[in-house]
Amino acid sequence: MMLKTDKIEIVAKQLRQAAASGKPCAPVRSLLPDGDIEMAYKVQAINAQHGRDSGRRVCGYKIGLTSPVVQQQLGVNQPDFGVLFADMCVADSGEIPLNAVLQPKVEVEVALVLERDLDMEMPTVTDLIRATAFVLPAIEVVGSRVQNWDISIVDTIADNASSGLYVLGNSPKKLDGLDLSLCGMTLRRAGEPVSTGVGRACLGHPLSAAAWLARTLVKLGEPLLAGDVLLTGALGPMVNVNPGDRFEARVSGLGSVSVGFAAA
Amino acid sequence: MTVQTHTQHTEKSAGDIDTLDMVAQRLDQAAHTASAMTQLSTQGVTLSLDGAYQVQDASVARRFARGEHQLGIKMGFTSRAKMQQMGVNEMIWGPLTSGMQIEEGGTLDLANFIHPRVEPEIAFLLKKDLCGPVSFTEAMDAVEAVAPALEIIDSRYRDFRFSLHDVIADNCSSSGFVVGQWRRDLTQLDNLGMVLEMDGAAVEFGSSAAILGNPWRSLVAAARLASERGRVLKAGWTVLAGAATAARPLTAGNYIRLQCEALGDVEFRVRDSRAAATAA
Repeated sequence: MMLKTDKIEIVAKQLRQAAASGKPCAPVRSLLPDGDIEMAYKVQAINAQHGRDSGRRVCGYKIGLTSPVVQQQLGVNQPDFGVLFADMCVADSGEIPLNAVLQPKVEVEVALVLERDLDMEMPTVTDLIRATAFVLPAIEVVGSRVQNWDISIVDTIADNASSGLYVLGNSPKKLDGLDLSLCGMTLRRAGEPVSTGVGRACLGHPLSAAAWLARTLVKLGEPLLAGDVLLTGALGPMVNVNPGDRFEARVSGLGSVSVGFAAA
Repeated sequence: MTVQTHTQHTEKSAGDIDTLDMVAQRLDQAAHTASAMTQLSTQGVTLSLDGAYQVQDASVARRFARGEHQLGIKMGFTSRAKMQQMGVNEMIWGPLTSGMQIEEGGTLDLANFIHPRVEPEIAFLLKKDLCGPVSFTEAMDAVEAVAPALEIIDSRYRDFRFSLHDVIADNCSSSGFVVGQWRRDLTQLDNLGMVLEMDGAAVEFGSSAAILGNPWRSLVAAARLASERGRVLKAGWTVLAGAATAARPLTAGNYIRLQCEALGDVEFRVRDSRAAATAA
């Protein structure tokens, strides 16, 4: 009988190979116990450590599954998270090579940058507000190493919450005076709104999503630290990417951020 | 031979007018008695675009004959996605009448509707007449105030299904509207966050950008489309610019609220007087 740790290593390797080869793999859920979220996070942790060991710097986290509709689709009632590496950050107005992310899609989010550690027991929203240095608009380029995005909750968590790359705006805003609950979001492709949304679509409030992450990471013994970037979750539906697409995202109060994809 | 053709043509036109009037009467009856009817397109009634608007005129004229008056117009199909879904590249419009107005904070009675749905909108209040192709600046100059609004759409057709010409003939499904507090500050309207709540729970999320990329464009289009049919948007009228999210069906007991960034809230409640009567 195969040991649990062996299974985790096999799944982690399968996902790493898919990323390295640029060829999506079969869903990994059948290799892990049904719906075992804890095991899925172990797979994710192994690949995060693999990244660190090869010299990549972890600089924050992304929160996924923050929309009630997406949670229903995956049959869960909580968000998930993945690790952000510094080399996943794309400059505002930058261009992304087509093969940089497998099966890319884009979504617009609120990014928080911390100036204090959140290592207390049960960090709350007020702890998070005190710890937030500034806010930026962000475009997350999600991707899936799993064929045709055929993912369950276990697949996406194991696959680092389907993270790919992210683009941050360059004009930081203080939380004071921002309305992150009713801030409008528009994502345009060639001027056409292709996704629209609002702050509340992200788990009721982007800060609520971030507070969930802060608590979850304290429980796991790896608290959020000063300098961490948090992508708090999508404000509207995600959008498929075609070669040559250029996207511009605007979030009320936060300004805009844009990114392009190389033509075929 | 020529004369004969002419005669046939005249007879056909007269027949068409009769048909349009009959169709208008049936649609108005369906609205007035809150009972669904079969789609015109599946009954073999083929309307041209012009014919569909003529039916709309005739059915709204019946409302006026009952003492209602016009309070404005509504715009429909104001998103690219909706236009693609309907296979058109133009918006549609229909009149708002006094019988459709629901007080802000007031109550809608389901007994007067067939299968009503609610959607979040932005409303313009005109202080000057607006007509024909107008510039963005002229449109702004004609606006007194803006407000968050909720539109109640209620197709008179069974299962809320219709062709483009069906829905135009049916006054673009318009059946009710609630307007929040008017604001004279004509703030940037192109990316206002909007949350539609039902009974306190947020159910639809969006931005005013979903309305043609900017609701002001809808007002410009309204002036143009109305003038194409010889109409003027009148000072004092309300123009509903179009929906920012998908519509949600209403049921008795619902408490509906729209929260709109920078513009504030608008709300109403839903009851069913038929259920109350049965209970009594």
